[in-house]
Amino acid sequence: MYGEGILRGLGVTLRNLVRRPFTIQYPEARIPQHPRFRGQEFTWYEQRCTGCASCAKYCPLGIIRIVTDPDGGNEQDGGSYKVDVFDIDQARCMYCGLCVEACPYDALHMGSGFEAARYRRADLVIDIDTLKEREKHPSTWFRPQLEREKSDPHHDAPQEWESVGREPFLWHPKRPGQMPEEMDHRSSASGEYGGER
Amino acid sequence: MGETLAGNVIYRNVYQFVQDLLGEEWSWVAYAAAGMAIILLVTNAVMAIGTVYTWFERRLLGRFQGRLGPNRAGPFGVLQPIADAIKLITKEDIIAVGADRIVFTLAPVVMLAPTLLVLAVIPFGAGSWVADLNVAVLYIAAVSGISTIAVMMAGYASPNSFSLFGSMRAVAMLVSYEVPLVMALLGVTVLAQSMSLVDVVEAQALPFLLVTPLGALIFLAAVSAELNRAPFDVTEAESELVSGYMTEYSGMKYGVFMLAEFTNTVVAGAIFAALFLQGWKWPVLPSHVWFLLKVAGFVFVAVWVRATLPRYRLDQILAVAWKYLFPLSLLNVLLLAAEVIVWPEPGAAELGIMSAINWAVTIPAAVLWSKVVSLRTAPPMAAALSTEGR
Amino acid sequence: MAFDNLFSEIVFWALAVVTIGSAALVVHLRSIFRAALMLVVSFLGIAGIFAMVNAEFLAVVQVLVYGGGIAVLVIFAVMMTRDVDTGNRSTAVQPVALVMGVALLAALAYSIVQAEWALLPDSLPAPIATVFVETPTQLGRLLLSDYVLAFEVAGVLLLAAVIGALSLVRERRDA
Repeated sequence: MYGEGILRGLGVTLRNLVRRPFTIQYPEARIPQHPRFRGQEFTWYEQRCTGCASCAKYCPLGIIRIVTDPDGGNEQDGGSYKVDVFDIDQARCMYCGLCVEACPYDALHMGSGFEAARYRRADLVIDIDTLKEREKHPSTWFRPQLEREKSDPHHDAPQEWESVGREPFLWHPKRPGQMPEEMDHRSSASGEYGGER
Repeated sequence: MGETLAGNVIYRNVYQFVQDLLGEEWSWVAYAAAGMAIILLVTNAVMAIGTVYTWFERRLLGRFQGRLGPNRAGPFGVLQPIADAIKLITKEDIIAVGADRIVFTLAPVVMLAPTLLVLAVIPFGAGSWVADLNVAVLYIAAVSGISTIAVMMAGYASPNSFSLFGSMRAVAMLVSYEVPLVMALLGVTVLAQSMSLVDVVEAQALPFLLVTPLGALIFLAAVSAELNRAPFDVTEAESELVSGYMTEYSGMKYGVFMLAEFTNTVVAGAIFAALFLQGWKWPVLPSHVWFLLKVAGFVFVAVWVRATLPRYRLDQILAVAWKYLFPLSLLNVLLLAAEVIVWPEPGAAELGIMSAINWAVTIPAAVLWSKVVSLRTAPPMAAALSTEGR
Repeated sequence: MAFDNLFSEIVFWALAVVTIGSAALVVHLRSIFRAALMLVVSFLGIAGIFAMVNAEFLAVVQVLVYGGGIAVLVIFAVMMTRDVDTGNRSTAVQPVALVMGVALLAALAYSIVQAEWALLPDSLPAPIATVFVETPTQLGRLLLSDYVLAFEVAGVLLLAAVIGALSLVRERRDA
């Protein structure tokens, strides 16, 4: 019939009129993200980090800057370097998550936020103190252990470093018979080194 | 209802006041002063309704599109028009270097003037009109044609070739759609046997929307094109010519163009209500309230159509005007003239018979005519690029 | 002057100044586009004078046809002209033209002032009085009864104009 298309279109818009709108009013509500969302505000566990800088090497944009102190370090249990500078430049980050894929110790996780806008580009660089002080809500991207326990970074409480790793797959004993509890998990960034074994 | 409009009260009081002040022989000053008071009242009221209409359209358009409209400026966004006005007033008024300054500045004024001039003949309620011209319908058609000149002024005065293109296209569209518009008005005039809007309202024992559906539809389409509203808003298509003839305008000049367009929509709604929906005549509520409700109804339909239909191309717009609407409007006038010859003074019953005949003719005619006429237009490059027959 | 009151006299003089002033500007302005706009203003002034003498149908038709149609046509024609903004250049015949223009003006003014204009009486007999109240009806009746030949000829003329315009812009098909 002639004009049928117009009438059907008018019906569609009329039906839209009586439906609830899809708008989410931003500052009061936010679009709920899924747990695997690769967000800003990276989560870094300094107790797990050894200063290997694999994340910096994997980053395709080269925005991670790691400066370690070769004299500090824990020679026992593989050894961790003391990390002096850990900068992530969020302005150029593309949130690909390769740095998270790279970390062998599950120390770096993607964050879960998207509201890190700042007034100056210089303010977008995250430094090591910010990373240490921030609340840790790791995204479950590339972290099957977190997915298995169905953690939701947007709603759960902050996670501690003991519960976020894949130790059963990555841990290997340095000495025969060594138990995981006997591993010397020394924070590489806390400044305590040497001889406590 | 008699003289219930506050306007009449204002007129009489101002007239008396000035006459007492100046004496009998200067009564023309009293007449002019009272007239000015009424004109101020009517134009300001309608422009205020125009700005309220911008809020209404943005909220309604949002709801049609599955989103909220503006809701941050004041509760439900009612202060949004004020925010828009403040923004436009405080913007820098840029006149480009090569522009013709006087013509550039006057174009928005010439655009707004016809909108306000039409208000002189519209009956806002029982007994409430500024002037009951006996050529009111023709006056509306004539004065609306002046805005065409404003479009050309705006396009020519801008030192921007794309503004000129935009204004040429806009003028082609406006001039083409004046023909079916005036023919639709002619149909209503033939039915009501008079060009005065008050007589047209009085003659509507049945709303003319029912009696001449073809005329109402043609009027709706033609007036949408005259108002540059979707789906005929090719002049304002931001993806095409930026803003067409309005590209070089900023600040309050642009504000006046927009004000003229939105107020024109409200005024077109008022004309539609007077011509096709029985004006002020329904029962129970006061006549002015009914008139406002009818204007709101037209405006609702206009926003609904805008939210639904995609934009036509300019050549499609012209094809619709000349090949489809114009012959149908001729058919409309012929049909109504024949019916008025048979029933010279139509009351409600005769109008009912007329409406039955008209509906029975309209739907097949509209459908069949679309099959007879092809609204496809040849792409302009096809002929130049084809290698056959050369 | 037989004006009802001072107000209509003021209005008349205002309209007269606007009409004649804009008509003078049409020939004096350098920019042809502005001259075309002044022509539109003078059309509207004439419409105002028509309205003043109770010929409102004629006033409205003047605005519709001249202001809405012919003005658009003139402006389109102006835009198609090249070198629009240089205006008129001075030529050798300007003094002769000036003299002839002044002579024509004097002749017109003399004849207008000398003529005995027959004014309508204040109270008109019934059939003529209705013309001023129901102008469209009377005009329509006359056009379709006494002057139907002129009406039809005008229609044929318009048809010829439309066909001429179409044939001018039609693409040539070499087939």
